[in-house]
Amino acid sequence: MQQFMKKVARVLAIVARIALWVSGTGLVLMTAFIAWQVWGRFVLNDTPTWTESSAVIIMGWFIFLGAAVGIREGYHLSFDVLLYILPDRVKKILYSVSDITVVAFGIGMMYYGYLLAEKTWPSTIPNLGFSGGIAFLSLIFGGFLMVIFSLERLARRACGLVTARFGETELPEEDL
Amino acid sequence: MLDIAALIGPGHELAVLFGTFSFLLLIGTPVAFCLGVSSFATIAYIGLPPVVVFQRLNSGVSIFALMAIPFFIFAGELMVRGDIARRLVALAGALVGHFRGGLGQVNIMASVLFGGISGSAAADASAIGGLMVPQMKERGYDADYAVNITVVSSIIALMLPPSHNLIIYSISAGGKISIADLFTAGIIPGIVLALSLMVAAWIVAKRRGYPLEAFPGGRAIIAMLIAATPGLILVAIIFGGVRSGVFTASESSCIAVVYALLITFFVYRSLSFSEFVLAVKGAVRTTAMVLLVIGCAGAFGWLLAYLRVPAQLVAFMQTISDNPIVILLMINVILLFLGTFMDMSPLIVITTPIFLPVAIAFGIDPVQFGIIMVLNLGIGLCTPPVGAVLFVGCAVGKIPVWTAIRTIWPFYFAAVFTLMLVTYIPALSLWLPAAFR
Amino acid sequence: EMTLRSSDTHPDGYPTVEAVKYMGEQLSAATGDKLCVEVFHSAQLGEEKDTIEQTQFGVIDLNRVSLGPFNNIIEETKIPSLPYIFRSTEHMHNVMDGPVGEEILAAFEAHDLIGLAFYDGGSRSFYNSQKPINSMDDLAGLKFRVMQSDLFVDMVDALGANATPMPYGEVYSSIQTGAIDGAENNWPSFESSGHYEVAGYYTLDQHLIVPEVLVMSKLTWDKLSADDQAAVKAAAKASVPVMRDMWAAREAASEEKVRAAGVEIITDIDKTPFIEAMVPVYQKYVTTDKLKDLVTRIQATE
Ligand code: NA
Ligand code: NA
Repeated sequence: MQQFMKKVARVLAIVARIALWVSGTGLVLMTAFIAWQVWGRFVLNDTPTWTESSAVIIMGWFIFLGAAVGIREGYHLSFDVLLYILPDRVKKILYSVSDITVVAFGIGMMYYGYLLAEKTWPSTIPNLGFSGGIAFLSLIFGGFLMVIFSLERLARRACGLVTARFGETELPEEDL
Repeated sequence: MLDIAALIGPGHELAVLFGTFSFLLLIGTPVAFCLGVSSFATIAYIGLPPVVVFQRLNSGVSIFALMAIPFFIFAGELMVRGDIARRLVALAGALVGHFRGGLGQVNIMASVLFGGISGSAAADASAIGGLMVPQMKERGYDADYAVNITVVSSIIALMLPPSHNLIIYSISAGGKISIADLFTAGIIPGIVLALSLMVAAWIVAKRRGYPLEAFPGGRAIIAMLIAATPGLILVAIIFGGVRSGVFTASESSCIAVVYALLITFFVYRSLSFSEFVLAVKGAVRTTAMVLLVIGCAGAFGWLLAYLRVPAQLVAFMQTISDNPIVILLMINVILLFLGTFMDMSPLIVITTPIFLPVAIAFGIDPVQFGIIMVLNLGIGLCTPPVGAVLFVGCAVGKIPVWTAIRTIWPFYFAAVFTLMLVTYIPALSLWLPAAFR
Repeated sequence: EMTLRSSDTHPDGYPTVEAVKYMGEQLSAATGDKLCVEVFHSAQLGEEKDTIEQTQFGVIDLNRVSLGPFNNIIEETKIPSLPYIFRSTEHMHNVMDGPVGEEILAAFEAHDLIGLAFYDGGSRSFYNSQKPINSMDDLAGLKFRVMQSDLFVDMVDALGANATPMPYGEVYSSIQTGAIDGAENNWPSFESSGHYEVAGYYTLDQHLIVPEVLVMSKLTWDKLSADDQAAVKAAAKASVPVMRDMWAAREAASEEKVRAAGVEIITDIDKTPFIEAMVPVYQKYVTTDKLKDLVTRIQATE
């Protein structure tokens, strides 16, 4: 079982790395778009109108993907004073309860993100011409990765491997 | 009197909301998901379509003004990795190193200089702390003193422009409070805080008999000033751009990134491509975490409004007292309490819609209230059990949290003293924005 | 017994907020307190685009919104949002109270909304810090802030000026520092934003006289009995004249304050060249026969 999860970790590590790269590229693109907007207004005397709305959409992608990777790498802020006084076994059960709620939330992001995209598909985004539903795709995709990475945490814990935690445990090098 | 039954609601909606939230928080669920899942559960309990939770989450992160946060954090990462922060510390050392408590004063001064270009207390604590704490230990300062100063002085970064927490506040207030006014309003309180901390550092240093540094001479100061000038110009671009209205806060934060890239790549030649990639990754991690919290807090805040919590709280506070001094004291105590166990940005997003109407009802200016709030919650970043900056400080100083907080009291006292000044002297925050207008 | 939750982006006391409250009182009286209305003002439940989605999903029951956010969803709403489509506020009232207004209200149903009534949103005109604008030539090259909207950008560009999309909160200091020359809005907003302190010339070209709309969630509507549905419609209609009176009073108060501050108001301009310049804009937005027909009928209305 542990061996199998190690293999899964290698695959998901690649998924996480791709997601992080997409996020990082998003941040660089946002910088470029807004810099172009400023340049257009002051130098070309012609403000591009597409930069703001497209940068906002990119921001959605980079937040939800980055946050999903955060689940795997354990860099989300949490508050777990109670856990210090509890025995290890109870602690692990509570961590799993916590991961299960994240799975539920991620499924919600996918399902309701889909409903929102469907409802807003006929509308268009001002100054961009894309369908308004585009704005919810990052929600769906981010939710999907959150579910996957949380399930990995549950499975790893079940077979006795470590899961990452902010300020405490890091994933071993070969699983990152 | 407070109608508890009405507040909890006929179907105990608020009990479900806060109950789920506290339970998840206690079992170690990340704060963002505590907010999101408890909203999800409560909406389902009320029988409303849960789609609204995810709509609030998505709109909560689709705000143009929020873009300043990734940009300022990105710029901060570039400055730390590209040597800008180190030059500012060197300049601070030349300026105030010869005062009593020498390197402690330098640490505070460096936070003033670096805080002027970074909006993040955690970035300040890791950047300044990483440079200063080892130096201080080497020169015979106690580790707890070095860490205490690093931690509390990083609040200065929140007060001096730019401060992305003030942007979060402006957005939480409905985007109608001028970011330029907020940025300007933080300057005097930030300087007052620096001065209070310098006094505290002086007293502690005197009691512990710490050494003095030699005055490096005017020539050295000028050399270091020149070396640090590109960093200082960045301050002028950001503040000048926002203040003059030539740029929006998001645009000027983007210019800060571009400028930091140009300086570190071409002028200092201190940033390699791999360092650049690390800076991008670091910025993505921090921002995604902060903004997910903000998005989820958007859903939580929507529920609070839907359940009429702010309106009831205003009514309740009006029954307690009609004296703004008492009301402000109460709000401050509540925020300090919440700040001890929650992080700053979610608290701003959650409590602004609740407390700002109260403050306005009692005649307090929203700009001054923003400064009070950020300073107050900034103190919370330095207190256990949840204090991100305290943790960072202890990590760079390699000492247990307990060792740090045993002797941190003089610095807490200086910060709370400043908070009281800012709370009860509106001119400290409001005079400068009025003068600029 | 049922409480209808209604959203409004404006603060308490604003004419639209008060009108919906008045509607609620009428509704309670008509249904013997079976139905009542609670207004969530000041965008407590979100910005207009978001509260529209919430109304579609039945999260909230009523919503008072401007037509702008609907332009990209319901094509009929583009027509009253066109520049210079209405000759005066009175013309707008005649159109929206008549069959054309009813037809546009009916178009909401396909999008899970029930259109109840049109309210006044004032008439928007240009103000700037540079010079009095009497003709198209005066507009040439000036930078005007507009909302994030294709239509606004196209309109300002077609007039020969420079459209600069910008958040509302940045406008005051941008005019002050000369980053932009002006903006465009109605009397109450021109006054309450303080923009009249920095923009000393206001030309009443009334390029946009766009009504606002009160809608109900179709999910909520379908839960009501036929009698209750009729009561809701009647209460909404009854609130319209009340709203118009409050709006007129507010406009007059703002105008007095702006005039007292010494702003130069330019009233008598020849609007014909402005209207002629809109031909490409109309070509771009009035694309279907149905929309062309609506335009023709509006122009034919007295
Ligand atoms: Na700062
Ligand atoms: Na704390």
